Amino acid sequence: MIGVYREFEGCMRLMGHVLRRLRVLALPPVTEALARQIYFTGASATAGMVLRGAFLGTLIIAYVIDVLEANSALAVRILLWVVLREIGPLMAAVLVIQRSGTAIATELALMQISGEVASLRRMRIDPRDYLVVPRVVGVALSTAALTFYVQVIAVGGGMLLSALTIDASLGQLADDFFVLASPVDFVYSMIKSLLFGVAIAVICCYHGLHPPGVSINAVPKAAINAVTQSTLLVMLLNVVFAYLVFGQAFFGLVTAKV
Amino acid sequence: MTHADPAARSDPASRQSIYAQVALGYEPPADRGEDRIWIPTGGSHRVAGLSDARKASLLSAVLDLKPEPGAGLVLLGLEIDGLDAAERAALRARVAFLPAGGGLLSNLNAWENIVLPLGFHTPERLRGAAGEVDALLKELGADPHGLLAKLPERMSAYEKKLAGYVRILLESPELVLVEDLRGGLDAAGRAGTAGFFPTYQARCPGGTFVQLEASPGV
Repeated sequence: MIGVYREFEGCMRLMGHVLRRLRVLALPPVTEALARQIYFTGASATAGMVLRGAFLGTLIIAYVIDVLEANSALAVRILLWVVLREIGPLMAAVLVIQRSGTAIATELALMQISGEVASLRRMRIDPRDYLVVPRVVGVALSTAALTFYVQVIAVGGGMLLSALTIDASLGQLADDFFVLASPVDFVYSMIKSLLFGVAIAVICCYHGLHPPGVSINAVPKAAINAVTQSTLLVMLLNVVFAYLVFGQAFFGLVTAKV
Repeated sequence: MTHADPAARSDPASRQSIYAQVALGYEPPADRGEDRIWIPTGGSHRVAGLSDARKASLLSAVLDLKPEPGAGLVLLGLEIDGLDAAERAALRARVAFLPAGGGLLSNLNAWENIVLPLGFHTPERLRGAAGEVDALLKELGADPHGLLAKLPERMSAYEKKLAGYVRILLESPELVLVEDLRGGLDAAGRAGTAGFFPTYQARCPGGTFVQLEASPGV
């Protein structure tokens, strides 16, 4: 229990440091580290998203129209609710944890164990400034960007593939989309995915900088702790967000009393 | 300095005048029974026969400016005890340390490693850094084009030390501590390190160059 509290406190302190020291992003080495992080997390991860996103959208539309015998408006409404609000940010977050979260925790743990973090201190560079600030900002922006890709590809690709594969008109699906889509859905999902990104990066940086030992065995343990806890926190944040914004959590099992 | 050094017994003014001539004075805790380190300002010096524990204690005192309880430290003429946080930070900026392995970051190439502290502490100097780094490497007998693009994993032990040293020289510190200068190097590498002090002296006249060695003094 004390360990959990210490980790929570450590992550909060790290988060506080990031917020206080955002100005270091203007320093050339930190700007470069930020660009690398955005490229790694946001740009090089997009290829795998295209097919997954399109198939996800198709599956939802096909399932609703064919299996539930619903009309295109209901199919699009479900697509918006599920993909824009929930699956888009969650899918992006899971991808970021899988690719970048593990990479961050492993890299930082190795740097800590091999003395590179100490080397930064000896150069009078705060390791949190150089290693944590660009990663947190980069991962947050990239998670929001990936969420946007998932949403566009799942909704657009889903409607396009549905028009080709099942008995649904693309024009009708598009009309329903523009009638039903609300900017609130996009803003909600963007804010949520930014928070997911921050949470993932802070937890992974914390575990990377505090590996549970000084031997090489501590590296995979740090990565496992980082992945487990960031997945858990993302799920928790998702529930809290759903409850705060829509008054519902756990698919309606918990409902806010107004 | 608090213990056995001659200045400790004298009045503050004469203590100050004695400390003014000291680049590094370290008095270990009295119960250790270890010799104190007392290095005058300027020139090249060698502290030999340091155990790992003693070296760690000295480096922690100098680089973190936090001597162990009971230990005393004078750095570049200033007694650490009397300094506030800002003065300590300013003093620390005048000291540099070259670890035995060069202290490079493995995911940055030699150029990025060399200019990393400059990018943090004096980013306005980055524009002219390329010429400065080239000149320093040539002065130290290295080929800048061959070295600067290399990642540490592709560098020899000497090249790592060289890149770390050029990184230090760019900041023109008044006191340089070098850990095990010749350790782990082949004959060519050891010969290459002979140019380290002259290059430092030419760049920082009056600076102090201290080698920390594990082996007994020669």
